[in-house]
Amino acid sequence: MEKKFKITICSGTTCYVLGGAHLMMLEDVLPDDLKEKVEIIGSTCLQACHGENARAPFVRINDYLMENASIPKIVEYLRTH
Amino acid sequence: MSFPSNISDCCVEVDFHQKNCGKQRTGGDVFLSRKLKAQQRVISVLSDGLGSGIKAGVLATLTAVMGINYMSSFRDPAKAARSIMDTLPVCSQRHISYSTFSMVDVDFENDVRIVEYDNPPVMVARENEIINLQRQQIEVARTGKEPAPILLADFHALPGDRIIMISDGVSQSGIGSNSMPFGWGADKAGEYVKTLIVKDPKISAHDLATAIVEKAWLNNGGKALDDITCGVIYFRQPRKLLIMTGPPYDQRKDVMLAELAKNFPGKKIICGGTTANIVSRETGQPVHVLFERIDPDLPPGAAMEGVDLITEGILTVGRVAKYLEDKRDPDNLPQNPATKILRLMLNSDIIDFVVGTRVNEFHQDPNMPVELEIRRNVIKKIAALLEDQQLKETSIQYI
Ligand code: FES
Repeated sequence: MEKKFKITICSGTTCYVLGGAHLMMLEDVLPDDLKEKVEIIGSTCLQACHGENARAPFVRINDYLMENASIPKIVEYLRTH
Repeated sequence: MSFPSNISDCCVEVDFHQKNCGKQRTGGDVFLSRKLKAQQRVISVLSDGLGSGIKAGVLATLTAVMGINYMSSFRDPAKAARSIMDTLPVCSQRHISYSTFSMVDVDFENDVRIVEYDNPPVMVARENEIINLQRQQIEVARTGKEPAPILLADFHALPGDRIIMISDGVSQSGIGSNSMPFGWGADKAGEYVKTLIVKDPKISAHDLATAIVEKAWLNNGGKALDDITCGVIYFRQPRKLLIMTGPPYDQRKDVMLAELAKNFPGKKIICGGTTANIVSRETGQPVHVLFERIDPDLPPGAAMEGVDLITEGILTVGRVAKYLEDKRDPDNLPQNPATKILRLMLNSDIIDFVVGTRVNEFHQDPNMPVELEIRRNVIKKIAALLEDQQLKETSIQYI
């Protein structure tokens, strides 16, 4: 079954040191109802850290690139979309 | 332990295995090996002290150390043998030397010289056969003692050859048993070596030595009646490892990097997300991040078809440097990506680094060259540690 959200978590150096390490736990902490709707994969660098004033860590949810990503922010996004 | 030999398509791997007699904690057999870096020689000695236990151990150690020292200072093995025989104490009751030995000296052209005194014969295995060495016996005169018969031999080792040194604990194993009343014997041990090599033509020095010692131990019904020791010198093809880290300075070299990743004859590691992405783009192979949380301090590794390991860059490489500096054993570390790199490094003989020197092109941030400096310096440090401590051959190429 096609999941509603495809979440790509960046585990590249920049994202990882700027808070991305916590995001690795996303799958474990998602509420059950959301867990069913998401597919989580990783990326070695979403290429977003290169931009000027880039605000890592980055997560991509379908086509949306979230900067300054955190677990509450991701949950909030999933709830409202 | 392995030493790259001068002939670049061959390297000399030395290892040994041992079981001590009964419950003795100190072996009466000693196997020692030393590399003389400047002369590119590797000298190995197996000595067997009379009896077993601490006294035998001390004598055997003395003999082995002396053997290595004399062998390294004299080009003429007969001279080395003479000096040793002069120094070795003789048992006052039995009039035999306190210790017997075999010494093998391999030079940078893989020319081998062997000196033996009263040990089971050193074997040379070549392509599933034990080859017959021409031995020359010399009588070494000793002041106030019987002259000692010393055997000398030399030959040129070819890639794939193995030299097997055993103590009499191996050749005499099983003695008195129904199946081998006179013991296993050096010839039978040689036959066994052949079957092991036929079964696994690339068997390492470590595994071959272990298998022979285990078999001798089984011949005794699972006991070590004497010290059982086997040393193996293996002239094998060097194992190569390629480590790519950092994107090339010139983007047009991305293709070259991908080609290298594809065609390198050995194991390949990519350290760095951007570098991995470049290779992925050029080869069309996707990168899969592995969500294994083994170590929260290090980003996870990734996998790609055709590459043995992908890790994050600078944090992971920094950790590898730390592990090397602290001489850590990969078996006693969390199995994180840095440990995986360390393990691959220690299992290789030649390690080539390809360091990309592109700095983040979007950034006009003056801090960015710092990242490049760190990358360069850490790699330099790792290469130096691998050369000095682990006796590996390394190269660094900047692209
Ligand atoms: S490291 Fe996350 S976008 Fe580059």
